[in-house]
Amino acid sequence: MEEFVSLILDPIAEVFARFKLFFPNFLAMLVIIGLGFLLAWAVKAGLVKVLTAVKFDAWCDRAGFTNLMRKGDLWAKPSEVTGVVLYWFLVIIFIMVGLNALNIPVIDNLVSEFFLYLPRIFSALLILLVGYMVAGFFSRAVLIAAVNSGYPFAKVLAEAVRLLLIVLILAMALEQLNVAPSIVVAAFSIIFGGIVVALAISFGVGGIESAKRMIEKKDKEKERDIEHI
Amino acid sequence: MTTGLEHADIVVGIPSYNNAATIGHVVRAVDAGLHKYFPDKKAVIVNSDGGSKDGTPDVVKNTSHDHATIFLAHKVFPVHKMSIPYTGLPGKGSAIRAIMETAVDMGATACAVVDSDLRSITPEWIELLLSPVIKNDFDFVAPLYERHKFDGTITNSIVYPMTRALYGKSIRQPIGGEFGFSGKLAEFYLKQDVWQTDVARFGIDIWMTTEAVANNFKVCQAYLGAKIHDPKDPGSDLSSMLVQVVGSLFGLTEKHAHHWKLVNSSVEVPTFGFRYYVGLEHVKVNVARMLGIYREGVKDLADIWVEIIGQGDYGQLKEMAAMPDDAFRFPLPLWTSIIYDYCIAHHKRKLPEGQLIKTLTPLYLGKTASFVLEVIDMEQAEAEAEIEKLCLEYEKGKKHLADNWS
Repeated sequence: MEEFVSLILDPIAEVFARFKLFFPNFLAMLVIIGLGFLLAWAVKAGLVKVLTAVKFDAWCDRAGFTNLMRKGDLWAKPSEVTGVVLYWFLVIIFIMVGLNALNIPVIDNLVSEFFLYLPRIFSALLILLVGYMVAGFFSRAVLIAAVNSGYPFAKVLAEAVRLLLIVLILAMALEQLNVAPSIVVAAFSIIFGGIVVALAISFGVGGIESAKRMIEKKDKEKERDIEHI
Repeated sequence: MTTGLEHADIVVGIPSYNNAATIGHVVRAVDAGLHKYFPDKKAVIVNSDGGSKDGTPDVVKNTSHDHATIFLAHKVFPVHKMSIPYTGLPGKGSAIRAIMETAVDMGATACAVVDSDLRSITPEWIELLLSPVIKNDFDFVAPLYERHKFDGTITNSIVYPMTRALYGKSIRQPIGGEFGFSGKLAEFYLKQDVWQTDVARFGIDIWMTTEAVANNFKVCQAYLGAKIHDPKDPGSDLSSMLVQVVGSLFGLTEKHAHHWKLVNSSVEVPTFGFRYYVGLEHVKVNVARMLGIYREGVKDLADIWVEIIGQGDYGQLKEMAAMPDDAFRFPLPLWTSIIYDYCIAHHKRKLPEGQLIKTLTPLYLGKTASFVLEVIDMEQAEAEAEIEKLCLEYEKGKKHLADNWS
């Protein structure tokens, strides 16, 4: 009977002993994560106040960032967005640190891999952000130049430029994240090459008349036109 | 090249870059003007050259004129000539800065600047640009030309009416290219911290005019007759021209916001010179092409335009795009509202400056086409009356700019 009882109690005792060893770590994790949330909230609130005081939103308006956010369907104030980004960044960091406090080898490995991977995530995000801005800038520049020179397919041309740049930027970001790099490079080459060939054919065929008109226009412009200034 | 002259009463500057073909005529006209109208003044002609490769400075050095053939009396002091390579950012602004520095160093009381590609300059231009400064104590003399009713459309539809509405002085050619100014004003210009900005490259003309007006210097204009010059560089396209001129105008509007908000009306400035009829060269206008680009803009730039001018004004533009060519008209209140909205968008940095102003090109072409269609059968004076109506519209609509400026 005693043996039977010990057969039941020993695992319970062992679990309890393990729990006693684990509980402080678990508590430490909860405290770290809880403090992390509090700290992240305090930092966010402080940062938003500072950014509001230094008129960060007005600066973003002037620098064109607000407009960029609107185009990306982000309607919050730039200061709030900055605060939220920093908040979630700190929360994720504290969750990782908290999980590390559990002292479980598998989780430890995951956490250290996460921290090793973090720079790649950052550079990929940076590539996406800068790339989005660059794609928008160049596509708009092409649109304006094409409209001003009387090119009839201005919007199609501008969208094609944007598409090409976005494909290029996505490939760069994925490569940075080390997500199936060989497949990404191959897919990129196929898609990019395909788009370029398709564009060359479509603009080549569709643009014959436009090119003809442009050449004729150049010849006519040799006559005295109005002086704008 | 030095003149050996330490003091001069008058400095006439000629900025140049590869103008060997025309600068000889300009130097002769300036030289003759100084001999004829200012025989008792010490004068220097300064050619400020941007590194010409066609021997422009040599042409200046070797240009001479036998004044005995045209004047009965000889000048007391001979006119000295010097050619100086300017330093700093390449452009007309840096060239004029070098001329101003020479004028201030020599203690000149009056200066004039004339372009080096002029074909129609006469000795009288020098008298008209300098006499108001020397004899009437004016600080700034703007040119007034006789131009074909279709020419100078950026000036007529944007720069002149907006400058007049903002600063309250009716200067008909604020970006004329030729100016007279006092030594005092030259000193003021040199003290401004703009010589490493776009003013040094381009936009010097509107900058000089606006600074003179906004800082309450005594301004006037002088009637010079027709302005004929070498054709401009064909590489400089309309959009780039708009960026240079309108960008400078909007930049100055930002700088002088405290000044123009206090101005409610405009006044004529004194005008010197005898006005006479000038036969003007025929000008070809391709209205269909202008309207074609306008319609492309309405179709493809909708998102950008709505962001700048709002849905209401864009709706009007869309309706206008559907009109047949000969019935196309650009309402004046709509045009002024658009220009003020662009000025506000420039102030609020809604887009990079170059892109923002380039999106104005189809609208400007629409406005120009409308103007051409309206005045095609009109006499010069009637066409000028239409421009006057636009000026009044700019003055009326200025409240929109002031109210939305923050």
